[in-house]
Amino acid sequence: MTGPAWVLLGLGLLVVVVQRRTLALGAVSAQVLVLVGLAFADAGDLHEFAATGALAVRGTVLAVVFGLLISRTRDSRPVAHPLKPLLRGALAVGLGLALTWLVPPIGLADRTAEPVVLCLVAFGLLVAATSRATIVQVLGVLLVENGMSLAALQLPGSSWMIELGVAVDVILIALVAGIFHERIFVEFGAGDSAALRSLRD
Amino acid sequence: MTDRILLAEVLVAAPLAVAVIVACLPRRWTTALAVGGAAVTGALAVTVSGLALADAAHPRVGSWIALDAAGGLLVGVIGLVGLVSVLISPAYLATATSSLVADGRRATFYYVLVNVFWAALLAVPLAGNLGTAWLLVEATTAASALLVGFSGSARALEAGWKYLILTSLGLGIALLGIVLLAAGTPGGGLGALTWRTLPTYAGDPSTALVAYLLLLVGLAAKIGWAPVHNWLPDAHSQAPAPVSALLSAALLPAVLLVAWRCEQGLAPVIGQTTARNVLIGFGLASVAVAVPFLARQLAWKRLLAYSSLEHMGVIALGIGFGSPLALAGVAVHLTAHAVAKTLGFVVVTPLLAHRPSAAREAVTGIGGSRPVLAAGMGVCLGTLSGLPPSPIFVSELLIIAGGFQAGRPWIAGATALLLALAFLGLSRSLLETTAWNTSADAPEHERTAALPGLRAAGALAAVSTVVLVALVGVSAWLPATDLVDAFLKGVS
Repeated sequence: MTGPAWVLLGLGLLVVVVQRRTLALGAVSAQVLVLVGLAFADAGDLHEFAATGALAVRGTVLAVVFGLLISRTRDSRPVAHPLKPLLRGALAVGLGLALTWLVPPIGLADRTAEPVVLCLVAFGLLVAATSRATIVQVLGVLLVENGMSLAALQLPGSSWMIELGVAVDVILIALVAGIFHERIFVEFGAGDSAALRSLRD
Repeated sequence: MTDRILLAEVLVAAPLAVAVIVACLPRRWTTALAVGGAAVTGALAVTVSGLALADAAHPRVGSWIALDAAGGLLVGVIGLVGLVSVLISPAYLATATSSLVADGRRATFYYVLVNVFWAALLAVPLAGNLGTAWLLVEATTAASALLVGFSGSARALEAGWKYLILTSLGLGIALLGIVLLAAGTPGGGLGALTWRTLPTYAGDPSTALVAYLLLLVGLAAKIGWAPVHNWLPDAHSQAPAPVSALLSAALLPAVLLVAWRCEQGLAPVIGQTTARNVLIGFGLASVAVAVPFLARQLAWKRLLAYSSLEHMGVIALGIGFGSPLALAGVAVHLTAHAVAKTLGFVVVTPLLAHRPSAAREAVTGIGGSRPVLAAGMGVCLGTLSGLPPSPIFVSELLIIAGGFQAGRPWIAGATALLLALAFLGLSRSLLETTAWNTSADAPEHERTAALPGLRAAGALAAVSTVVLVALVGVSAWLPATDLVDAFLKGVS
């Protein structure tokens, strides 16, 4: 799976460096498409096809909902990222490499997937932690979940109920985040987490 | 066995059924249905809890459901906290001026979310599988985030957003730990990670250690352990008061039980001392971070939130010590904390009606104008501070003694010092809140105007006092019982 692994990694890095929310959403959705392809290729029984279907539904629902949200909450000026693209790209690669070095071998069926899983987690954490745009923060969480989906596909044995449950949970969390994003946009005039700093001790 | 498991399944289904019924039936029945449904769920929870505790030596464990002594205790606590939360909700809704939805649908939306949240909470201690437990904890986030932001105010949105993003990221990290474990567990797949198969992990112990650290760091974000507790004061202070009670007295301990089960399951693989040291580290950090905030003049709900940080730290220390005395202390502490914290949030609705400024700043002199309110706040703060002879004073003594029993005198000593500082901080708030002013200072209308939820707060203060006194008796008897052995064994 070297080819798909590089595609997933490249799309993940794209989410880190791009400024436009639509591009970031496109990259996360494209990752889900790649994952669905991988899952479909490996599916051998009804349960695995069901888990693949759940992944596809998750990708479609979130792409549509977040696409609508972006179109309904257009910022008059794009919410600037506090770090330059090159710097956050370098940080993401550094964090990914550090995580790959720190975490011992996972034991996935395909060993080439392991660094990709860890890098996607690192990229997602960085995006969620450093981005100011609320919708991009959610995309960071989804990037982490995409990494987890890749790992779940490569686990020996199948637990389709859990994988279905993860897909449902991720959809729910993302939908709730979507509701918050829209309300924050209405309340503060921008989907900018920098405005959320009134609660301090 | 089947009956007990079946009852546990019915218990989780009950609030879900109430949520569906409330959503479908006309609005005029919403409150009655919610309150009636809560009574049924509360009674079921107490029954399941009683059965589990009465037969603590024989836990029921399956692939998907586990019911042991610790889980039984939590189910009882969550059931009763949920019941009180629903009972005081009409008073909260009567005073709510805004929400995420239109006024006409406010109560329906609220009760549906509360019941879904309650169902997920009740299911967490019953989960027989690490994967299922993760799913349920994640489900609590989806329901409770909307409740945190329920008022729709700018500050509530901020609190809800922080809670959602921080806990989702934390749970993502925990999921990575679960994947690491699943790859090395016989049977494979996320579904193979039952509490009883965790000790049979066949992979590299260093991988298991990394997985354990990822799991605990991820769960810490949800439990509110320092240093990943940032969402806690904000969410507790902005959520509707009945929801804050559920967050503090039910959610945090329920997720803490998952962390405890991970420790019990992985200790044979990574070493018991290592596994417990991680819990002790989180416990000490949490109490140490909470102490300076407890000494400050904070708004009532934020003060209670920092107290949650302290008490989740104390419980982590008790589990980390792992000795019989410490675990007896944990059981008493968990229960007494739930009683006091529920009372603390129940008084919020009448308190805010009496002093709206209490939402943003410390309150003083309530005793002079509202003795009933002051009594509730006093019982709450007196208990949370560990004022002798409150059950939390006894449980903290048990946990510290348990630290010595476990051969950790320095950590037990540090714990005692930190708890003494926390006591001093909260004692100041206790004095200033309840007894600083005299009645002559309070205008007549402040003392006589009707307050929403005041009767409930007064009644609960009386009931809580009786329960807390009974808990002191229980704490003297508990260390010598089989229940502590059951806590030590867990689901194994």
